[in-house]
Amino acid sequence: MGDIILDVRDVSKTYMQGKIPVTALHDVTFSVEKGEFVAIMGPSGSGKSTLMGIVGCLEKPTAGAVIIDGVEVTSVSDRQLPRIRREKLGFVFQHYNLLNSLTALGNVDLAMRFSHVSRRERLERAETLLKKLGLGDRLNHRPTELSGGEQQRVSIARAMANWPAIILADEPTGEVDSKTRDAIVETFKLLRSRGQTIIVVTHDPDVAKNCDRVLRIVDGTIMDE
Amino acid sequence: MFDIIIRSVTQRKVRSGLTISGIALGIFALVVMGGMSENFNQTFENSMSLTSDKIRVFAESGMFGGGLTDDKVPDVKRVPGVKDAYGILLTTFDEDQMGMSGKQIFALPPEKSRIALKPVKLKAGRFLEPGDTYQVLVGTSIAGEYDLQIGSKLEIHDKNFTTVGILEYTGSFFDSTAAIPLETAQDIYDLEHSLSTIFAIPEEGIDADILAKRIELSVDGTSTLSPSELREQASQSLLIFSVITISSALLAAIIGGLSVMNTMLMSVTERTREFGILRAMGAETKDILLITLGEAALLGIIGGLAGIGTGSAAVYLLNLWLSGKGIILFAITPRLLVVALLFATVIGMLSGLYPAYRATKMSPMEALRYG
Repeated sequence: MGDIILDVRDVSKTYMQGKIPVTALHDVTFSVEKGEFVAIMGPSGSGKSTLMGIVGCLEKPTAGAVIIDGVEVTSVSDRQLPRIRREKLGFVFQHYNLLNSLTALGNVDLAMRFSHVSRRERLERAETLLKKLGLGDRLNHRPTELSGGEQQRVSIARAMANWPAIILADEPTGEVDSKTRDAIVETFKLLRSRGQTIIVVTHDPDVAKNCDRVLRIVDGTIMDE
Repeated sequence: MFDIIIRSVTQRKVRSGLTISGIALGIFALVVMGGMSENFNQTFENSMSLTSDKIRVFAESGMFGGGLTDDKVPDVKRVPGVKDAYGILLTTFDEDQMGMSGKQIFALPPEKSRIALKPVKLKAGRFLEPGDTYQVLVGTSIAGEYDLQIGSKLEIHDKNFTTVGILEYTGSFFDSTAAIPLETAQDIYDLEHSLSTIFAIPEEGIDADILAKRIELSVDGTSTLSPSELREQASQSLLIFSVITISSALLAAIIGGLSVMNTMLMSVTERTREFGILRAMGAETKDILLITLGEAALLGIIGGLAGIGTGSAAVYLLNLWLSGKGIILFAITPRLLVVALLFATVIGMLSGLYPAYRATKMSPMEALRYG
């Protein structure tokens, strides 16, 4: 067994909808090894995105613990969370969430702005990443000038920028055609082959079949692996 | 981070432009009104420095109550410590405008004109001299307005006076003064032996405040204003004037500030998702604060500079136009410009505080789901 990079222990999340408590996650427990490519699948409303939010330190669980790269992130203060997000995590979103006013290079550069990386190094790193993802001739294009697949690759480069412990991708192929989907999956596989841990939330079985492992979540509970 | 702020301002050109215009309008008002207030302050300071060596003696009933007559002048002069004294009659120049133009007739014994107007220098001609009757010595504003040269005629109270001297510009009330012989004034205004004020000049080394009290006690039916008392009284009137002008300008600037707040609230709401992305990428609360407050401050600074530019231009043009009429109404001082720019920046930032607070309080998860 390899090193555990993510350990989710008995995580529950309950929201209040008015005065009625709604359980989004119930005693979720799983772990991910370093370098694994894991898919989380489940129907809409099953709690996948909530789980991603908790693992991504974007919200806190009601109960349980999340340990990322040896740090119990559920017990650190709110002030320390931005640093953990910067250093340990990279996000890939379904809608790419690129800033339209910035070029591809600028979007990747932005991710390093908050990490006190020098401007020169930021640009060098952004350029290298984009070139590795096949966007060497698209560096100075704005998102509106890029195809969906290219935009998603920019967002993957952005997620990679701070060399995170884990890349969290929420429906990264939800908006693209099958050819582009395959290209994105290939990109993830390439990253995995270099030791990058990737967790993908997806509806798409064709994405899931490329993963090392699939976690199925139904009604806030992990049903099987 | 500065490039992100600039990008945000330039990206929404129309909205930024309108907000900047709002601030600029407020600062424009601040510069123009403040310029007027500064001019009054400067005129006051210059007038004070030109007359600060003299004690004013009035009738006990006050300056406009009448009752002060020629015969009090020798009494004042006799008070130990008084080097010289002379009576003057002050009245308005533009009777039809009820003195609203600020121009005044300053009637004094001709032989005292040199002392009374000291240290003001002559631009042309001469001071009044003994024997002068229908001769007039004018300040630059009056000379400019009536296009007076030496020898030009000037009508005062339906009588023609000959211009014998023009004073240099002083930035004080002397610029709007027409000095004529006292006896002529008493004659044409039908105010035989009447005086408005007696000016007493203290001997060297004599404390003006003590001497003022001594005159009051020695000469029956008089009250005095020492230079320091005069300064105090006039400062209070000036303060009221400044408060009225500046507060109306502040009101305009605050309205500009509200437009910044409105813009920033819209901007923050529109960029909810962007802030969510930044938070997901590890931006800290201080980064979000810096971006939003920086944007608000930048709008304030640009608006402030635009307001200062247009305000200064308007003041320059108004002064140019008014100088033809012999009036200088505005003074742009460095402190006014610094205050205007600081005010624009502070108002921009204060207006950005609440929107910035809202931006930092968003949950990153909710922000990412937004829109």
